Amino acid sequence: MSTEALPNIPAVSPKEPMWDAQRRRALIGVRLRRAGVYAVAITIAVWVLLPIWLIATMAFSTPQDVRAFPKALFPNPISLDSINFFLNADGIIRATGNSIFVALLAVVLSTLLAVPAGYAIARYMFPGRDAVRLVMLSVRAFPIVVLAVPLAVIFLQLGLFDQPFTLALMHTALTLPTTVLVISSVFASVPFEFEEAAQVFGCTPLQAFARVVLPLALPGIAASAILTFVLSWNEVFAAILLTLSNRTLPAHILYNLDKSSDPFKFAAAFVMLVPSLIFIFFIRRYLFNMWGQINK
Amino acid sequence: MTEILIQNAVKRFGKFVAIDDVSLTVQEREFLVLLGPSGCGKTTLLRAIAGLGMLDSGRVVIDGRDVTYLPPRERGISMVFQNYAIFPHMTVFDNIAFGLKMKKTPKPQLTERVQNAAKLLHIESMLERYPSQMSGGQRQRIAVARAIAVESPIILMDEPLSNLDALLRLEMRAELKTLLSKLGVTTVYVTHDQIEAMSMGDRIAVMRAGKILQLDQPTRVYDHPVSQFVGGFIGTPPMNFLHGQVQKNGAGYRVKLGDYHLKPPADLEAALTAWDGKSVLVGIRAEAMEPTKSPSPDAVQVNVDVVEMLGAQNLLTARIGDDTIKVSTSPDFQVAVGDAIWLRFPENKVRYMNPEDGQVLNAPSLEKVLA
Amino acid sequence: MRPSLPHFHCPYLQPQAFQLAFTREGQSLSLRAEALPDASVTGTLPLQTEVRVIDRQQLDEVLPNGATRPVFWYYVSGTDANGATVEGWVNQRSLFIENRRTSETARVTGGEAVREWTFDHLNRMLADFRFGTAVSTTLLLMVLIVPAQFVLAIIMALVLQSQIRGSGLFLYIYAIPLGISDLVAGILWFAIFTQRGFLNSLLVSAEIIELPFIFIQADHMAWMIAIIVLAEIWRATSIVMVIVVSGLQAIPRDYLEAGEVFGASLWQRLRHIILPLLKPSLQVALILRTILAFQVFAVVIAITGGDIMTVLSNETFRWYDPARFNNPSVAAVYAGFIMLISLAISLFYMRAVRSQEEAVKA
Ligand SMILES: Nc1ncnc2c1ncn2[C@@H]1O[C@H](COP(=O)(O)OP(=O)(O)OP(=O)(O)O)[C@@H](O)[C@H]1O
Ligand SMILES: [Mg+2]
Repeated sequence: MSTEALPNIPAVSPKEPMWDAQRRRALIGVRLRRAGVYAVAITIAVWVLLPIWLIATMAFSTPQDVRAFPKALFPNPISLDSINFFLNADGIIRATGNSIFVALLAVVLSTLLAVPAGYAIARYMFPGRDAVRLVMLSVRAFPIVVLAVPLAVIFLQLGLFDQPFTLALMHTALTLPTTVLVISSVFASVPFEFEEAAQVFGCTPLQAFARVVLPLALPGIAASAILTFVLSWNEVFAAILLTLSNRTLPAHILYNLDKSSDPFKFAAAFVMLVPSLIFIFFIRRYLFNMWGQINK
Repeated sequence: MTEILIQNAVKRFGKFVAIDDVSLTVQEREFLVLLGPSGCGKTTLLRAIAGLGMLDSGRVVIDGRDVTYLPPRERGISMVFQNYAIFPHMTVFDNIAFGLKMKKTPKPQLTERVQNAAKLLHIESMLERYPSQMSGGQRQRIAVARAIAVESPIILMDEPLSNLDALLRLEMRAELKTLLSKLGVTTVYVTHDQIEAMSMGDRIAVMRAGKILQLDQPTRVYDHPVSQFVGGFIGTPPMNFLHGQVQKNGAGYRVKLGDYHLKPPADLEAALTAWDGKSVLVGIRAEAMEPTKSPSPDAVQVNVDVVEMLGAQNLLTARIGDDTIKVSTSPDFQVAVGDAIWLRFPENKVRYMNPEDGQVLNAPSLEKVLA
Repeated sequence: MRPSLPHFHCPYLQPQAFQLAFTREGQSLSLRAEALPDASVTGTLPLQTEVRVIDRQQLDEVLPNGATRPVFWYYVSGTDANGATVEGWVNQRSLFIENRRTSETARVTGGEAVREWTFDHLNRMLADFRFGTAVSTTLLLMVLIVPAQFVLAIIMALVLQSQIRGSGLFLYIYAIPLGISDLVAGILWFAIFTQRGFLNSLLVSAEIIELPFIFIQADHMAWMIAIIVLAEIWRATSIVMVIVVSGLQAIPRDYLEAGEVFGASLWQRLRHIILPLLKPSLQVALILRTILAFQVFAVVIAITGGDIMTVLSNETFRWYDPARFNNPSVAAVYAGFIMLISLAISLFYMRAVRSQEEAVKA
């Protein structure tokens, strides 16, 4: 032990000549490694973005350019003709309206049901709480194909077939489990003490919920509502089975796919894709919270 | 040969400077403690030595090799983490063997070294169990065993005892110290517990806000703190700081404390010329004063405000001028609140500091040291 | 909480599906004890049976407007499905008879629906020549897609965790496909691989080939599989990535740093620390992805049109579609089959994981 070490003397630059060489060599390694990570990151980003870029190119080209061969990587000239052609095609406006109606209704229904349910799961210990969670997880994994056929038949028998609101019910049923779990995790992240404090200062439990918890939980609830919207907006199998003349947008496009021209298809894909791009941007921060909670 | 050398290390997190131009030498087989309040950059410095988180500038040299930009596994170090980081999905055996397995040590040798490490830490009977079935103290032992099993010459420890209860901490402290000196490894040990630092370290580096304030043997740090901060941070109770006034006294100087005068040591005379007539801080440890119950010409009279009987000592609180002073006495020194006592300040136990920056007046300036 | 098996918990939906799948809705003629529509039934005859007319009776039928019209009832005798002779009264509407007043024989042309349990629909599915290819294609897609997705998702997650600059942007980009429907993904990749698509544009412009290569056609099964695999990996890896990243975030940094300090390379850390600790997340993702892999639908249709190549959910749709086979019963058999097979595979995963855990404990 070096007890006789000189006290309190900072190490003053003794310097060996080989240190700089060692350092440079190591630094090259570090840089190479980091460059490798960037290369992988960028490659994956290109892999994700390239198809989107290409379809955007198609959507903003004239129909003639869309049919042209070989195709260009940039729209030249930029034109809205293809998108206009798609939007003015028979039934598109109506199908879009149906899609929005179904998605909004699904959002409203699933949020209205999921907020109390999620709150109960987050706050109260009640018998069978774990069972409820489990059942909801199960339904989430239930194949939509399996649900859609019998439901279509039931709706047919009940005279509810081909009505958009029944499709909204179906989408609500599909997204509800996820929504409940997500919202319960959002509530669980708001400390119970906040509510107790509000109650101590004279709020009723309902007021405490409305004034204290809800504002804090709102961003999370909004994120899960957006997720529901996107799922419903994208869902095609149940939509094509449960509707006939009141098709939603994806169902309409899919059903007419083999009769459609390329400009129609590509513009359709682009139009369907845009809302998703925007919505995912807004909820990107919440994605991991959602899944982190659900995995538990 | 120097084991660890850090030169002008700087580490920033965004704009925040976590390590601010730190230089440090840790000698071979030395036990160095990094001590400082929470958030002062101890962990960051330790991680820089380990290679977890790269320095923004500066140099780390281990065993004569510049390792600043090398990953941890090429530095020949091992480490005990604050939360132990014992892998929950491996048995105790596999945990201890982890480092050896990664280096593809042959099986017989691996088993032997794991057994040895386990024996040293008295956990050889638990090798087949999973960490989830162990207590905090046992996990701590596994973490240490894992660190010594790889037999690297340097062990870094980040508050390894902070998660243990007080009694166990006391016990492990002694055990760890014995073990490490027996192994003859170089240790850098992070703690914010000054008693741990005092009792274990060969030297202590006191840190604050990303800088090393003092690097010295425990007794020197305790008796000769370089600043008000160090004196206040180390020791319970902390060092007393009183406001005194420098006055000319014949050829030399004296420091007026109430109606009492301290005589600074001769080697301070030069430093004090600049302070003539000004106020300085007078630092003294609670147990360094000599209290008496009867008047004495070279002692100052104070009245006792509070008496705390702590068993091993009696701690008195009194006032000198505007300053509060704590005095530690032997338990036999019986006084009551309101009693007058007389305190003598031994000349060699008193420190004089600049009241503005808290630095001791005769601190060797950095330039002089570097020269 | 371990993910437990999801599929048993839907009691209110399964009976309907099975009913659809098993109930025959064939027609047969009920023979009655008397010449009355509400008389008790004495037997049934399959359609097209030749019968002897033993007796006849003319009654008056009252129409909704109050008028009456004559209607004949016949006492007929014929052989039922089991070969036994049955006799009874039937309304003239159910028979084809040449002369209502004189003919001695007739043929059964109408009847009522009867409901009975049957394996007809199951047999029909099994006998369908597209069933086999649908199963094998679906399984092949699953085997190709799921492992690739996991590898890619883990790489994505590691990249995102490596604290590179702009990782927020990369995260958004990697998450984009999460919001993209399988239909859109299918069209995107169709745009690349179609005959006049981007890939052929590139290959022809670069003069690698002279004429566009037709990737998507009935005898290029491998190409079509490859395109669908690409599209599905492109679209559905995000969700695995999100699960893996959130699992990764739950692993204390300490563990990974301890791995580094004790000499583990990136691969060793992945192998010995990350993957074992990630197992619960991976298991959830694996079951989810496997179940979803059996439902791959719109991608296949968007890329291949659904005729030259088929998968199970496409068959379900084709049998259900009123414009095509219009047979919900066979569609329900397909749906039940998809459920059983995804159930079986999930069970297999759970078993595999559990026995592995036991092996570790033992
Ligand atoms: N990854 C990081 N990002 C941003 N700031 C950080 C990071 N790590 C540490 N810091 C900051 O750097 C400073 C020093 O942190 P460090 O962990 O080294 O403190 P410490 O001395 O170990 O404290 P403690 O005793 O609480 O462990 C702190 O103020 C902390 O907020
Ligand atoms: Mg720390």
